[in-house]
Amino acid sequence: MFCYQCEQTYRSEAGAGCAASKGLCGKDATTSDLQDLLIHAVKGIAQYAWRARQLGAPVTATERFIPNAMFTTLTNVNFTPARFVALIAEAAALRDAARAAYERAAQQAGQAIEAQSGPAAFAPAADMDGLLKQAATVGILAGQDTAGADVIGLRNLILYGLKGVCAYAYHAQVMGYDDASIYGGIEKALDFLAGEPTDVPRLLEEALALGQVNFKTMEVLDAANTGSFGTPEPTSVRVTPIAGKAILVSGHEFKDLLNILELTQDTGINVYTHGEMLPGLAYPKLKAYPHLAGNYGGAWQDQQKDFASFPGPIVMTSNCLIEPQPGYRQRIFTLGPVGWPGVRHLDGKDYSAVVQAAKALPGFKEDAPEQRITIGFARNTVLGVADKVIEGVKSGAIRHFFLIGGCDGALPGRNYYTDFAEQAPDDTVILTLGCGKYRFNKGEFGAIGGIPRLLDLGQCSDSYSAIVIASELAKAFNCGVNDLPLSLVISWFEQKAAAVLLTLLSLGVRNIRLGPTLPAFLTPNLINVLVGTFGIQTISTPEADIAASLKKAA
Amino acid sequence: MSEHQIRLTTRDGQSLNFACADGEDLISAAARADIHLPALCKGGGCGACHATCTGGDFHLGETSRDALSDDARQHGGVLLCRTYADSDLEITTPYDHGHISFRPIPQRTGTVAGLEHIGGQTVRLVVQLDDDPELGTGAEFDPGQFVELTVPESGLTRAYSLANTANWSGTLVFLIRLHPTGQFSRWLKDTANVGSRLQVRGPQGAFVLQDNGTRPRAFVAGGTGIAPMLAMLTRMAEFGEGNRCRLVFGVTRASDLFALDMIDTLRADLPALSVDIRLWESDGSQSAGTPVDGLQHWLTEALNSDIYLCGPPAMIEAGERAARDAGVPATRIFSERFLPT
Repeated sequence: MFCYQCEQTYRSEAGAGCAASKGLCGKDATTSDLQDLLIHAVKGIAQYAWRARQLGAPVTATERFIPNAMFTTLTNVNFTPARFVALIAEAAALRDAARAAYERAAQQAGQAIEAQSGPAAFAPAADMDGLLKQAATVGILAGQDTAGADVIGLRNLILYGLKGVCAYAYHAQVMGYDDASIYGGIEKALDFLAGEPTDVPRLLEEALALGQVNFKTMEVLDAANTGSFGTPEPTSVRVTPIAGKAILVSGHEFKDLLNILELTQDTGINVYTHGEMLPGLAYPKLKAYPHLAGNYGGAWQDQQKDFASFPGPIVMTSNCLIEPQPGYRQRIFTLGPVGWPGVRHLDGKDYSAVVQAAKALPGFKEDAPEQRITIGFARNTVLGVADKVIEGVKSGAIRHFFLIGGCDGALPGRNYYTDFAEQAPDDTVILTLGCGKYRFNKGEFGAIGGIPRLLDLGQCSDSYSAIVIASELAKAFNCGVNDLPLSLVISWFEQKAAAVLLTLLSLGVRNIRLGPTLPAFLTPNLINVLVGTFGIQTISTPEADIAASLKKAA
Repeated sequence: MSEHQIRLTTRDGQSLNFACADGEDLISAAARADIHLPALCKGGGCGACHATCTGGDFHLGETSRDALSDDARQHGGVLLCRTYADSDLEITTPYDHGHISFRPIPQRTGTVAGLEHIGGQTVRLVVQLDDDPELGTGAEFDPGQFVELTVPESGLTRAYSLANTANWSGTLVFLIRLHPTGQFSRWLKDTANVGSRLQVRGPQGAFVLQDNGTRPRAFVAGGTGIAPMLAMLTRMAEFGEGNRCRLVFGVTRASDLFALDMIDTLRADLPALSVDIRLWESDGSQSAGTPVDGLQHWLTEALNSDIYLCGPPAMIEAGERAARDAGVPATRIFSERFLPT
């Protein structure tokens, strides 16, 4: 195996990447290799699907398949080799369907049929040994000897960005929302990668184009969330448990949360959010259920401790899953793209086993001391008080905004984000999104002129909300986003963050501080390009970075 | 009293460290550090705590040759319950980190909910667990694990593998052969009935279904060694796992056969399952031979299988030898011996 798609990938003086029998995320070599092969097969589908789409004949079946298949390869999603073998076979069948659709469309349009090679000609081997031999030829470093490390790094930047786009597209699909331009963008980028591009400016151009596709995808996902559950509103939510039977819902899928809430209504079972599900507590249609009791636990990397102490079933609706421990392995359930060998996967949205487990397990015996935090400051709420915000900035009461966004992780370098939030001066406002906020979101930050100093915008996909807020403020101040008293301090972990980063770059956002380390797939040359073109910086110390941000804005 | 540092490396490469005093066995020393390693008889008789010492000096207490063969001993094999450190030790275990418990083994109570003869001197015992304030009503265990059952009145304790899979109704199913001189057998025959109370200690054991991707699996059982195999196959059916698999089930004679209805159900639920029933004293109704004969036949078709063996020690040793001789790596052979009762 070779994988360096996430932030925690193994790093040494010899280079970066997980290349042993198991990655640091727990993904074994077989799974990793099969994921590479699945991506190869998906590129083959896209080669035909993209051409069919350009001829006005989009292939509906692949529109469902590609986001799901790509999502399964995201960090901490699926660790089940058997699932990948099945997906690879399905991909080959869908590729045939896409080819047929393309050929029909070309004939109808009176165009010559363009024969496709490379991934489009892939035929899966009949057994595991054969599949692994095939995988060895299509790993993510394939072609590096001839194309060079910069080209491979850029191809992988696009690939990982694509995984993030596909994950967001999948989340939107679950709620019945999509847009043809998203599918087209995904297919186009996959087709581009299938052609093994080597031209660096062209690769950069495609990466930024993908950032725009992701912007659209996050917009659609925002519409899906607000259309399905209402507009998030400031909400005081409990973060300690109450007595009673309990279900914990983790991941990102609000639709699953809604389904579980409906199913457990009037049963006496309380439902808790975990990790990135926390923002669900601020959506009117979800929080209307009185048995949505609050949030339990911290960010994803604490789950082995949090899940072991939770006295009820745990539902993992999407990333991030880490190896389930024996103490809760029988009571954790996976849904959708998620999977771990030996863990029960629920097909067809039948949650009855979860309810059964909740009734059988002891639940919380007593109320824990009450503790609350306030969440739900998405774009509508913030823009609803835009006049106060603008006045605050003009009067000098609000000196600066810091967006501390992105994923959390286990490495000690992430203490930077805690210290940053705590050391940000009292006349600055902190915006959060993603799960990095768990490091400090139970702290007391006070308010400026009635506006809380800590405003949580939601999940990582609510970067869309942040972009809308920044754009609207820039309009109000008659300046560009880069001229606002706003600094972006981003912690990244997996590929959704790669997609968001490409979106920000494609929108021309400069001077992002990125940490705790830069992606291992970016070579020194590529980092120089990003620094030169976009002013990207690695984090240094909270003191220095806060001072530099305030100085620049002054 | 001096202490030695024990470094234990699990099959999946994770390390655990604990201290062991002079004269203290390694199972007890680990438990003192809240590391509960798979073990059962704790008297050198069952082999459930088998591991390998790869560095350091130690001495072994008395062990049964059935549980630790001379050959295994020559290759560093130890039974941790009978291993006493004379220096710091390096130990490797044949199981993953995930099969070590860091909490005490649950102690529960239950009631006999079913007791029926199912042929071949074998009974199907169903125990309904009581609601537990800490654990609730469910029965959480991995397929292949066992529990210890204790008759409260007499303190009589025996370990039996579970034949069903984890469930939220708290039901445990066992297949138990009645031995004419066995004490638990006598209790089952003469005293037990629906409503009898039992203490249940478990789940325990690391003989569990391995996550092996899509490789084939062979389940080779002698007598009631079929119980954990039924649990594993049922779990495969519940999870929709499509691995090619063979169940080899051997008994002495046709009248000893049991659980054929459960096997038929599994056959219907698992299209990739094939079944090979072996009779030592064949009457022509089934294939003649031992379970190991069945295994050897399977290995001519699917050498890349994981091999699960459960039965009497002699069958386990013959099965392990047959698999090794055919070229199956030791890392793909998993076994559990019957305890002498």
